Amino acid sequence: MNTDPFTSRLSDYLDDELPDGERQSVDAHLGQCESCRVTIEELRAVVSAAGRLPDSAPSQDLWPGVESRITGTWLPALAGRKRDAISPFRRAISKRLTFTVPQVAAAGLTLILLSGGLVWMARSGDPRADVTPLRAEEPLVQPANFADRNYDAAVAELERTLGEGRKTLDPETVRVLEQNLATIDRAIDQCHRALATDPSNLYLNTHLAEARQRKLLLLRRATALTKGT
Amino acid sequence: MADDVALAAAGDVSAFERVYQAHLPRVHSLVRRMTGGRDTDEVTQDVFVRVWQKLGTFRGDSAFSTWLHRLAVNVVIERFRAETLRRQRIREGDDIFDTIAAPLRSRDLSMDFEAALAKLPDGAREIFVLHDVEGHKHHEIASLLDISVGTSKAQLHRARMMLRRHLGRKDSTYEH
Repeated sequence: MNTDPFTSRLSDYLDDELPDGERQSVDAHLGQCESCRVTIEELRAVVSAAGRLPDSAPSQDLWPGVESRITGTWLPALAGRKRDAISPFRRAISKRLTFTVPQVAAAGLTLILLSGGLVWMARSGDPRADVTPLRAEEPLVQPANFADRNYDAAVAELERTLGEGRKTLDPETVRVLEQNLATIDRAIDQCHRALATDPSNLYLNTHLAEARQRKLLLLRRATALTKGT
Repeated sequence: MADDVALAAAGDVSAFERVYQAHLPRVHSLVRRMTGGRDTDEVTQDVFVRVWQKLGTFRGDSAFSTWLHRLAVNVVIERFRAETLRRQRIREGDDIFDTIAAPLRSRDLSMDFEAALAKLPDGAREIFVLHDVEGHKHHEIASLLDISVGTSKAQLHRARMMLRRHLGRKDSTYEH
């Protein structure tokens, strides 16, 4: 094993990281120690070789996997397949489709206002509504079960993460987020109350599911922003 | 290339593919060396997906290749930080200090060297790649890996001592 106190300093010596005093001390030692002179030449050769390592491309084409992920068409089964084996239709997707929080929020708000109006008309039997009010005694569909612990846990976790990271967001973004989350929550609450008297109403069940999904989407997008991704 | 970067940042996938092709060998080699060959293709894809997501933040203050390199290093570090505590892996490296096999003596010395590099303990390998292959300073490595400068220096020296055998030298220890 190495017992030479100078050996451990040879890399620092090579990298010019030693203080002047120590450097002179190692210089003096190298003048009388052949073993350390050999070692430092070997270390020099390692450093030189490391700086000359050639770069090489992978053995298979990785682009299809990258492309499918950035265009939102990622399928695990396609990852790593040869490029020629990938369906050409995905090549036609040539633009990135992304939305900002205000855009998502605005779209969500528009949908909520439109569908919320339909809820009101459906409940009141307004003839302009496309959805005929269903009576409880005519259960064409089974009431959906929205007591989903996984969903509730996911929303709670996202809300917690968002709460911790909200300081990193622009105040205007936070304001829009809170406004739209409140609107979605009101829509969800309205659906729950409407379903309490008409649990089999297909439209109400669908609307509630969509509102819950919109809330999840908005929370995910917002928490992603707090993490800078 | 600068035009392709700008086009890609605006959402042009074809331009991004050209950027990808231009930088693939560099990124793939960096990832392969830092990971010791584990999940290299997958991590390389992760890097380019991250590049796509972050292109909008590239301001052109530095060369694109420098920006890309730093992002790639961060992706690799994040990837493996989740698997094991880095400090623990660096300490474990001490136990296999002398376990690297003898040189393969192939005609291509760089292949021997790459094979030996892959067998280094994780911590020593990452530091060696960042310092001697990629040219980072110890204080940068310490910051990237969340270790002390002293640890970075010590691990670099250990890695070099292990690798010197693979450059045709017959000495396998450094007894004095």
